[in-house]
Amino acid sequence: MSMLKLSGVTVLLIIVFFAIGTAVGYFIGGTGKVSESQYNELQSRYNQLQTMYNQLQQNVSALTRKLKAGFVYVGPVEDFGWTAAHDQARRYVEKIFPWLSTTFIESVPEAEAARYIERLVAEENVDVVFTTSFGFMDPTIEVAKKYPNKIFFHCSGFKRLPNSGTYFADFYQIYYLNGLMAGALTKTNKVGYVAAYPIPEVIRHINAFALGVKEANPEAKVYVRWLFAWYDPTRAREAAQALVSIGVDTIAFTEDSTAIVEFAQQQYSEGKQIYVFSHYSPMQDIGPDVVVSGQLVHWEVIYADILMKIRMGIYNNTNLENVDYLWMLKEGAVELGGKPGVPINPKFVNELKNKYLPGTTLSVYNAVMSRLALMKDTNVPFDPFTGPIKDQNGNIRIPEGQRATIEQLFTEKMNWFVDNIIGSPSG
Amino acid sequence: MDIAASLLAEAIKAGTPLLFATLGEVYCERSGVINLGLEGIMTIGALTGFATTFITGSIWMGFLAAMLAGGVFSLIHAFASISLGVNQTVSGLATVMLGTGISSLLGKRYVGLSLRDRLMPMTIPFLSEIPVLGGFFRHDPLAYAGIVIAIVMWYVLFKTRIGIIIRAVGEKPEAVDAAGVNVYLVRYICVFLGGVLGGLGGAYVSLYYTPGWREGIMMGRGWIALALTIFSLWNPIGSVLGAFLFGGVEVLQFHLQEYGVPASLLGALPYVVTIIVLTTSSFGFMRRKLGVPAALGKPYRRES
Repeated sequence: MSMLKLSGVTVLLIIVFFAIGTAVGYFIGGTGKVSESQYNELQSRYNQLQTMYNQLQQNVSALTRKLKAGFVYVGPVEDFGWTAAHDQARRYVEKIFPWLSTTFIESVPEAEAARYIERLVAEENVDVVFTTSFGFMDPTIEVAKKYPNKIFFHCSGFKRLPNSGTYFADFYQIYYLNGLMAGALTKTNKVGYVAAYPIPEVIRHINAFALGVKEANPEAKVYVRWLFAWYDPTRAREAAQALVSIGVDTIAFTEDSTAIVEFAQQQYSEGKQIYVFSHYSPMQDIGPDVVVSGQLVHWEVIYADILMKIRMGIYNNTNLENVDYLWMLKEGAVELGGKPGVPINPKFVNELKNKYLPGTTLSVYNAVMSRLALMKDTNVPFDPFTGPIKDQNGNIRIPEGQRATIEQLFTEKMNWFVDNIIGSPSG
Repeated sequence: MDIAASLLAEAIKAGTPLLFATLGEVYCERSGVINLGLEGIMTIGALTGFATTFITGSIWMGFLAAMLAGGVFSLIHAFASISLGVNQTVSGLATVMLGTGISSLLGKRYVGLSLRDRLMPMTIPFLSEIPVLGGFFRHDPLAYAGIVIAIVMWYVLFKTRIGIIIRAVGEKPEAVDAAGVNVYLVRYICVFLGGVLGGLGGAYVSLYYTPGWREGIMMGRGWIALALTIFSLWNPIGSVLGAFLFGGVEVLQFHLQEYGVPASLLGALPYVVTIIVLTTSSFGFMRRKLGVPAALGKPYRRES
C-alpha cells in the first residue's frame, strides 16, 4: 500500500534527523550545557538585533511620516520685522521639506497665549509647536506639561522640559562689526543708538556696537535713547531726530520699523548725510544712500535643523531638556548686511577701505571682513567681548585676555554699559 | 541748527498731523457730533495716501486721495449718528475698528515698501536764520498750510455767519431748524470736513513724518487729537497751540532722557490735561465758560 511506502520514507527521514539530532546533541552535550557567558553573549546579541530592528522600524516610519508644525506669532506676519522674519522661515521650510505642513496664528496676545497654543495642539493636531516671543515662555511650558506627547520649541527663553526646547539667533557679533564701521564713518565723533527696552539682549547689542566704535575710533561716544517699545516708528524717528540735533551723524537701532532709515534718507535728500545700520529686515533698498550695513536673521537655518532632527527621531518628546540653540554667525543663523548677500553697501566700501584702525595698517573694511570670517569659523577664534573691557564707572568687567561667558552675556548680569557709552543701562 | 530751533521745528512737524485731525474734530463737535472714529479715519487716510502715492508716483495725488477717502469714510459715522440718530460713542468706536481693520486688510501688500517722491521742506530765506524762532521757517508746505487753515477756520467759526450757524447747530439745533436751516446738512458737512482733515493728518504721517505703511501706524494719534479738541476748548487757534505743545512734549522726551526725566511721565501729560478739562466742564456753570457745545453728542430729531 502506498501508505506503507510513504511511511517507509517518513521513517527513514525520522531516522536520519534523529541521527543528526543525536550527533549534534552529543557534540554540544558532550561539553556539558551552554555556559553562562555564552548564554549572556547570545542574549546581548539578540538584544542588539532587536534594538537595531526597532530603530530601523522607527526610521522607516519616520521616513514615511508627515510632520505638522504650528507657529505662534506675537505680531502680524507683515510687520517687516520680527514676526515677518519667522514667517519667511516658516514658508521656506514648508517649501523645502515635502513631508512638512505648517500652520500659524498671528498677533497672539501674550497674556492669552496658552489658549492659542493649546488650540494648535488639540484642534489643529500639530506635532511640534514653535512659540516666537519671550512672553510665550511660561504659557509654552504650561501647555507642554499638559501634552507630554507633543514637542514644543520656544524662541528666546530659558525654560525647558523633556518635550520642550529653546532656540535663539543672536546678533551681538554683527553689532560689533557695525560698530567698527560706525566709528570709522562718524565725522562728529557722536554715534547714536535708538534702543527698544533696557533688557540683557539689547544692552548686549549696544555694548557690542560700542566696542566696535571704540576700536575704530577711541574718541567717539555712543549716545543711547530708550523707546520702551519694540515697535514705535513715531518715537523712533523723534529719538533719531533728537540725536541728530545734538550732533550725532551715525545711528544704529533696535526697533522693528523702517522709520529711522526713512528719516535718514529724508535728511539725505535735504542735504545731510546720516549713516544708519539696518535692523532685522533688509532695509538697504529703502535707504540706499544712508544704510551702511546691518543685521539680517535666518531663522530657517534653525527651523530646518530642528524639524529634520525631529523627523529623524533624534529629537523626541523625552530628550529636549538640554536642547538649547544659540546660533550666530558660525551656524549661518545671522548675516551681516542691510540686504541679503551684500555685507556692506558698495557706496561706503571705498571710504571704509581708506580708514584704518588706530595705530595699525589694517583698513576698517579689511578688519570687518577678516573678523567676520573669524567669527564664521567653526572654532570662532575671535569674540568682541574679549577683555579688558571697562564699564562706565571704570570697573573692569571682563579682565584682560578673557572672554565673556555665556552667563555674563545672556543673563541679568548684562546690566552695565561699556565706558564709551553715554546714557543709562536702566533706561 | 541750534538745539532750541531744532526742537521748535520738530515740535511743529510732530504736531502737524495732530493739528489737522484736531481742527476737523473742532468743527465736527462744534456742530454737535462727537466723532470718536478719528483714529480709524486717520488710518484710512494714511493707507489711501500711501497707496495712491505708490501707484501714481505723486505725493500730492496721495494727499488728495487721502482727504477724499477720510471724508467719504467719515460719512459712515455721519449717517449713523445724524440720519439714524444712534449713540455717537458706539458709532464712533465702530468707525475706529472698521477703519483700522479695513486698512490692515487692504494694506498688507504695501508693508515695507518705500516711496520715491518726497515732500521737501521750504526754507524761508532770512527768517529761518533767526536763532530759536528760525525753527518756524524750515518746513514742508503742509506744516505752513496747517497754520493757515487753522486761522481761516477760526475766522469762519467766530467771525462769519457760517460760523454762527455751525455753533448754533451745536448749541440749540431746534432753534436753528426753526429759523429754516437744515441741521442735518450742516452736521453732515462738518463731519465730512472732519474726515477730510483727519485723512490729511493720517497721510502726513504715512507720506512724510514716518513714511511707509504698517498696521497700527497712527499709534493713537486719533485719540490724542480727541483729547486736544477738548484741550483747545473747541477753538481752532487753541488747536494750533495744543497740537504744537503736544508735539513738543513728544519730541522733548528724548532730549530730557539724558537728564533722567522719565518719558512716560511726559507722555501722559496730554491725558492729564484732558481729564482736568473734562472734570471742570462737568460743572454746569463752567460748561458755558469753556465753550462746550450744549448739544454735543445728542442726536437731533426734528419735532413734527
